[in-house]
Formats: sequence, structure tokens, C-alpha cells
Amino acid sequence: MPKIELINVTKKWGKFIAVNDLNMVIDDRSFITLLGPSGCGKTTTLRMIAGLETPTSGKIIIGDRVVFDSDKGINISPAKRNVGFLFQNYALWPHMTVYKNIAFGLENLKWKKDQIQKRVQEVMQMLKIEQYKDRYPAELSGGQQQRVAIARTLAPKPEVLFMDEPLSNLDAKLRGEMRTELKRLHSDTNSTFVYVTHDQLEAMTLATKICLMNDGVLQQYDKPLDVYSNPANLFVADFVGNPTMNFIPATAKKTSTGISLDMFGIKAKFNPKNEIKSIGKDVVIGVRPEFLNISPNGKLSGLAYSTLPAGMETTVKINLKGDILSAVQFGLIDYKTDEEIKFDISGDGIVLFDKESGKSLSLGSIEILK
Amino acid sequence: MKLNKATFVDGYNNFIRFFKEFSFRKLWNNTKTFFSKPANIILVVFSIILIAGVIYPLISLFFDSFTVQSLSEAKELNETWDLSLQKGDLTWALWANILFNKTNMDFSINYFWQPLGLSIVMAICACLIAVLAGGILAFFITRTNLPFKKFISTVFVFPYIMPSWSIAMFWENFFKNSNISACNFQVGMLQAMTGICVPEWMLYGIFPCAMVLGIHYAPFAYILIGGILRNMDANLEEAATILKASRFKIIRRITLPIVAPALISTVLLVFASSISSYTVPAFLNANNSFTSISISMRGLMVMAGKKGMGYVVAIILLIFSVIILAINNSLTKSRRSFTTVSGKSGQISKIKIGTGKLSWLKWVVGTVIIILVAFFAVFPLITFILESLEENPGDITTITFKYWISPESFDVRIENQGQSAAGVFHNFTIWKAFGRSVLVAVIVALIAGTFGILIGYAVSKNRHSKLANFVSSTAFLPYLIPALSFGAIFFSLSFVDGFRWLNVSTTNNEWSAVAICILAGGIKFLPFASRSGTNAMLQLSGEIEEAAILTNCPWWKRMVRILFPIQKSSFISCYLLPFISCMRELTLFVLITSSFSLITNVLQYFDSYGLNQISNAINLLIVLFVIVVNLLVNKLTGASIDKGIGG
Repeated sequence: MPKIELINVTKKWGKFIAVNDLNMVIDDRSFITLLGPSGCGKTTTLRMIAGLETPTSGKIIIGDRVVFDSDKGINISPAKRNVGFLFQNYALWPHMTVYKNIAFGLENLKWKKDQIQKRVQEVMQMLKIEQYKDRYPAELSGGQQQRVAIARTLAPKPEVLFMDEPLSNLDAKLRGEMRTELKRLHSDTNSTFVYVTHDQLEAMTLATKICLMNDGVLQQYDKPLDVYSNPANLFVADFVGNPTMNFIPATAKKTSTGISLDMFGIKAKFNPKNEIKSIGKDVVIGVRPEFLNISPNGKLSGLAYSTLPAGMETTVKINLKGDILSAVQFGLIDYKTDEEIKFDISGDGIVLFDKESGKSLSLGSIEILK
Repeated sequence: MKLNKATFVDGYNNFIRFFKEFSFRKLWNNTKTFFSKPANIILVVFSIILIAGVIYPLISLFFDSFTVQSLSEAKELNETWDLSLQKGDLTWALWANILFNKTNMDFSINYFWQPLGLSIVMAICACLIAVLAGGILAFFITRTNLPFKKFISTVFVFPYIMPSWSIAMFWENFFKNSNISACNFQVGMLQAMTGICVPEWMLYGIFPCAMVLGIHYAPFAYILIGGILRNMDANLEEAATILKASRFKIIRRITLPIVAPALISTVLLVFASSISSYTVPAFLNANNSFTSISISMRGLMVMAGKKGMGYVVAIILLIFSVIILAINNSLTKSRRSFTTVSGKSGQISKIKIGTGKLSWLKWVVGTVIIILVAFFAVFPLITFILESLEENPGDITTITFKYWISPESFDVRIENQGQSAAGVFHNFTIWKAFGRSVLVAVIVALIAGTFGILIGYAVSKNRHSKLANFVSSTAFLPYLIPALSFGAIFFSLSFVDGFRWLNVSTTNNEWSAVAICILAGGIKFLPFASRSGTNAMLQLSGEIEEAAILTNCPWWKRMVRILFPIQKSSFISCYLLPFISCMRELTLFVLITSSFSLITNVLQYFDSYGLNQISNAINLLIVLFVIVVNLLVNKLTGASIDKGIGG
């Protein structure tokens, strides 16, 4: 079973660099999402692995076979890479019935007729589309088309399945359902999934590992929870999580016991989990909304900016000396505008970033000194 | 860019890096990758074909206009301009001779300036007629509740499908009368039915030429303008309705400005096509009453010692067209040329012609339009039938079938040239030529259509590459070249060593003509095929093909099984358009064929011998054949010529 390796992969269009020196290993049977804002190079990366796009330089290995190597001039055609590709707009052939659409690929792979019939029947059953066998794509709803597209991709039993924002054309409810089924499909088919999305929730819930990209550069490649709780830099911290992480600018100084901070005149101490060798003067403190703990004995105090109850939890926006912070509290709470709120920064999941480089320095906890 | 030291250092470093990184292996790898894509192979192959088939002939025609073509030409030029030129010398004197002849300025006026001026006037009139008729009808069809729409829009396209000169022949058939000597005092339909005799200027000369060309190109205007009106986002007009603009104001302030680019485009394209039209003036030019620039050009080319000057006129006509199309391109590319096509276009509310008590009005308008359309679209067919049957033109009492069925010859002069002058069904000259015409048209359609689709495919896959731009604009270049100039290019080519086997006048073998017509036609009719091929390909998302690539589907199979079936009707239009254009073409082929090569030649030949019945019969054959093929293809596949042009 295949492992996919990308070594120094770069793609340029003229002067524009779509993907810059990407190195990544995709483990066998994992479910990887390529996540990032639009135009960050995630689709290009996917298409390069599938062979639909030719990298400018670098090397790609699927399993133990080099499928692309710019130095040696190796470029194996997509058909011979044994991969499946699910397109955003499904790319169903409008002039073929559902059955034909699924069978066409198998015919090209020179399968025997009875085998084709059996396999098509099988995947149609798996995706519950048998009753649409003789319909044309135009006669199906979006969700049904989606299933046909998946069936068509799965039919030749690809070892790797690539998906390019496959759910973005569906409505919210259907998207939720399909997400569940894709995850199920992943464990049923026993193959490697690589999935492109710009929806962080999709990435968090589906993936075994997230590859977060920005401007063609890999930002972080980690398990979803690691990406969430231990972001590598400010971009990752900001992109992942909803409501987004609070960023509090501060000045820092290394002391013998830890790091002393000054946030808008509030003195505090940061206790890092790992040792920080050197530190610049300007830092940013990243606090997830769930670590802003509202309590009557809180050491910090701000004003209620607005309250956004969503049923299960409530997002409270707190104005801390002009900086708007978000806190998430369980249950329904309501504050009047500009009412005083006392709160604490709790837990040991606070991230200290270097302001200049944006890089994470360490996780740790914060003590307010007054 | 500022030039400073850093720029130079940067440039120098790049230069060094290039050499350090350069290796033949890398070059080989890049080349291999490049050619692994069929689209790239197609681009390279076609850039070679188009350089050979379009650019090289253009350059060679250009040089021909500066080259002394024959001994007699050299003699004339030397006498006029005090030169000592030999055959084959490069000279400016050909241009000077035709534009400002030193010894005989009348020659310049008669052969160049006057024909050019008259042709421009004729072309402008033709434009006005075409755009007014086509535009108004397009508006009626797309924006009102006019009855009989389907019938009108089907029949209205006939004059464009028909050869332009068949309308000229109809004009002659209809208006000729016993007062005019140029038509041998024959009685036309109008006189036979009503006794009205029109004056000669209505029958021959610039007026009928402009009318006939206008009628011929009106459907073209209709297709272009109608296409825009039909695709125009209904929301644009609806938005104005909601803002309480009146119906009339909407037309004036919203609709017209939006179709303006299409209108201007139509005007320019019709102008470019009519100014160099050869056949219509050739048919409606009795007694040299009206020498168009194209007639003058052909005259020069076939006259001894004037060929070089003919090439000069060809180049000038070509420059005209290039300027016009450059204007057209800059207009349609400008900011305001918002193509109005948007996916989500609802059904716009139609203007009601006559409401309430006046609801009968729409039937009246509909009927009037039907009569007008039928007059130019259906009536010609009837006159061709009648004229081919009447012993004395215009006299229904003298109906005879002999011009169709008689095995006897009607003209000794034709017999003496080794050709047949028997009735149509027994006439081998006609049927051989007809066969050759169909053969040429079929092969040209196959070449142009297939090339067009391949170019469309390759261009759509490499939208921003320079090579793709080069191929797509060179493929459109033949459209800019007037048919007669284009013919002239191949005419001059057939005098080049190595290509002489293509010259029917020296080989005396009709297959030479067939071969050169296939060459000329295949390239001349490429533009529309490549345009509609490109449009059809661009409508397909690349993913449709990629989905097939992933299943190991080879390239040819992707074309045949996936791309072609999806865009079937557009692709068939790619074949249909060159076929029809080629079948009815004469202007393009007139220089490179003999009088008996193609059916259109034969028609002109019989016409020049005054065998009206036979030439009308041939005309009927051609027109019916073209219309039937068009309707058949339309019915069977849904393809139609308006899809080819409208795109």
C-alpha cells in the first residue's frame, strides 16, 4: 500500500510561484486534508500529485515508484499512477448514463465485461444509487450526482483517492451528511485519501492529518488537534478555530523564573512548557476563546462589547482597553452593552508568538501579577 | 524599470545561472514533457502548417506586387518610367503604375481609383441594407410576440446559404425587360406579371449590386445581432423596467448600446466582404456599366503584362480588410464590449404588437414580414425553375423541358470546345463539375472542420501561451484576406516552380484545379471552423477531459468518446459551415480554376454564352443542394450554420 512523498516540489507559472519547495510525506491509509485560503496552492499540489499538472521542479513518489522527477525527466501519466480523482464540479459526462459513467473507466482499463458489470453493481450498491442506473447526470440532484462521481472514482479501486473540494457545491445539510459518509468510506475502502478544502471545520473533522498552506508555502503539517492547540505560527493560529484565537500584543523580558509580560500595562508572567532560548522584545500572546474564563473573581476586567448566544454556547466579545477579545462560555449568558466583565486567562494552552517572525515560541500558562 | 547597478548585477547573475543550470539532459526532459501533451503537438504542427499555408503565401503575394512578372510588363514599365527592368526584378514601379500612371492617368482612374470609389459606395450601401434588415428582424424575432417566428427565422437564413450571385441572377430574372438591350430584351417576371419595365440602372450597375449584397448579408447581420439579443441577460432590461423606464427608452438606452458592438462588428464584416465581392458585380455588370475593384483586379490579372498590377490591387484590398478588422477587434475588445452572455437569463417579457382591439396588427406585421422574407428567400427558387423551363424568358406559354432532358446540343461554340451543351440531365460538363464541386467541398469541410476542432482543442488547453495565441490568430487571418486576393495568392503560387502542377491553365488537367481549390478552400474556410471549435472547447470544463485521463483513456478516445459527443452539434457546425461556403464559392476559385472545373465555373460559363435556361437550372441545383444539406444536417444533428457564426 502506498505512501506518498513530495520532495522539494515547486510549481511556477511565469514569475508567479504557486507552490514553493513543498516537502511532505503522506502515510498509507491516512486521510490528509490540504487546507488553506483560496489561491494558496492546495489544489495545484493535489493536481501535481495526481499528474494533472506538471511541477516545475522536484520529485514525487507514490508507493515505491517515482512518478515524477524533474532531474531525471520522469513524468508518469496520471492514468498510470493508480489514483482516483473527485472533481469539485463532479465532471460527470453528460452524454452517458450513470451506469456508463461508472463503467467507462473500467472499459479503458480493459476489465472483462462480467467483471465490469459486477463492480459497477457493487459500487452503486455501496453508494445507494442503483435506482438511477439509467438516468443521465442532468436528471439527478446535486447530492445524487456527487454519489455518482464518487462511485465512478471508486470503481477501479484506486489506492489513493484525491478530492478537490468535493462538498462545496452542496447545501449545508447535505454537506454534513456527505462528510459523515466520506469518513465512513475511508475506513471501508482502506485507501489513502487526500482532500482539498478551504473549510477548516471540514479539515478538522475529517482528517487524520492537516496540511495547512499559505501563499504556496507549507505552514504546518500535523494532526488536527495539534494544529488547533499548538499552531506553528500566527497564520495557522488565526486560520484555524472559530471564533478565532485572541491575539494580545505585549512586550516580553526573560527572567530567571520565566518570562515577564506587559500587556497594555497589565503585568503578567508566562510559564513556558519548553525552554525558550532567546526572545525578542515584542511578542503576541495567543489565547483560544475557551481559555478566557469569565468569573466574578477574575483578575482582569473589561467591558461587554456584544454577546452572541448560539444555543449550546455563547460567544462574549470583551473590550479590553480597546482590544476586542472573544470568550466562549457554555450555556446561555447575556450581558448588557458596556457592562463590566471580570475574567481570567486559564489553562496551559496559551501560545507565545514572536511578533516579528510570527513563529510560535512555546506553549505555557499565564499568571496575572497585577 | 529603473536601470541601476542592481539590475545589471541581477541580470548578470541570471545569465550565469542559466549557463550553470543548462544541460542538454534538462532541455531534452523539458522537450519530452512538452510533447507528451497532445495539445502541444497540435500547436506546433499547426503553427508550421499555418506559416506555410497563410504567412508564406501572404509574404509571397506581397513580394509579387514588387516584382516584374513578365517581359511585356518589363517593357511597359521601362517605357513609362525610364527604367531598365528585367523580368523578376524588384521594383516600386508596379505600384506607381497602377496608382499614379505617369503617361496615362486615365488608366489609373479607370482601373483603380474609380472602381475603388464605386466599390466603397456599394459596400456602404450593402452594409446599411444588411444591418437594417437583419437587425430589425432580429429585434422582431427576439423581442416581440410576432407570429410565424420559426418559419421566418428558418427561411430568412436562405439568402446567406445561397450563393450571393444566385440572388443576383434572381434579380436579373425578375427585373429584366424588353426595354433593355443588355439583357437581350428578354422579359422578366415583373414585366410578365405586371407590365412594369424598370430602367436599366435598377437592373445593372451599382444599385442592384448593393441591394443583392445587402440581401445576401442580412441573415449574417440577423444571426450576429440576434445572437446577442437572445443571450443578453434579461435582468438588464428588467432592472430598467423596475426603475420605470418606458419600453422605448429601454430599447434606446439599454438594448441598443449593448448590441452596438455587434452592430458595428456586423457593419465592418459586411463591408469587408462586400467591397471585394467579385461574383455579384460580375453578374450584374452588363456593358461594363459598373466596374468594381474586384472586376478590375481580375481583369488586370488575366490581361497580358498587367498581372503585377493585379497583385498590387490585391494587396491594397487586403490592407483595407486588415484595417477594418483591426478596428473591429479594438472595438470589440474595449472596455465597453461587455459580452452580454450570462448563464442566468430569464425569459424577457415580449413587446406586444398591437394590444386590445389592435391585436390583429401582429398578424398583419407577421404576414408582411413573411411576404418580404419569402420574396428574397423562396421566390428566387421559383424564378430559377421557371427560367429553366421557358423557351422565351418570361413567357409562361413557352414552357418546355428540353433544357433539362434533351440530349441534343444547344450551342455549337460550346461543343467546339469539347464540352457538352446538352440538356442538364445529359450534360457531362455539368455533372462532372458538380461532382468535382461536391468532392472539393467535402474534402475542404473535412480539412477545415477537423483542423478547426483540433486548433480549438489545443488553444483551449493553453489559453495564455504565446504559441496558442499565434496559432489562433493566424488561423483567423484568412478571414481578413478578401477571397479574390486569397485566390490571387494561390494563383501566384501556381506559377512557382514545384507548384506548377497546381496550375490548371498549364496542365490542362481539371484535377490540378481540384487540388489547388482544396488547398485554398481548406485554409480560407478555416477561420469560422477554428472560432466555433475554440468556443465549443472553451465551454467544456477541463475536468471533463481530466476525469477521462485518469481512467487511462487514450487521447483519440477522449476526443471521440467524450469531447465530441458532448459538443456534437457545435462540432458538426465546424464541418457544415466550410462545406456550404465552399459549395457556393466562386470568387475564391475563379482565378485558379478553368471555366469547367467546378459547378460554379460552369454556371458562369453557360451564363456568358447566353444559355439562360441552363444556367438557371444549374443555379437551382446548387441552391437546392446546399439548402437540403443544411436542413438535413440541422434536422439530424441539431447543428446549424448560425451556431458556427454566432459563437
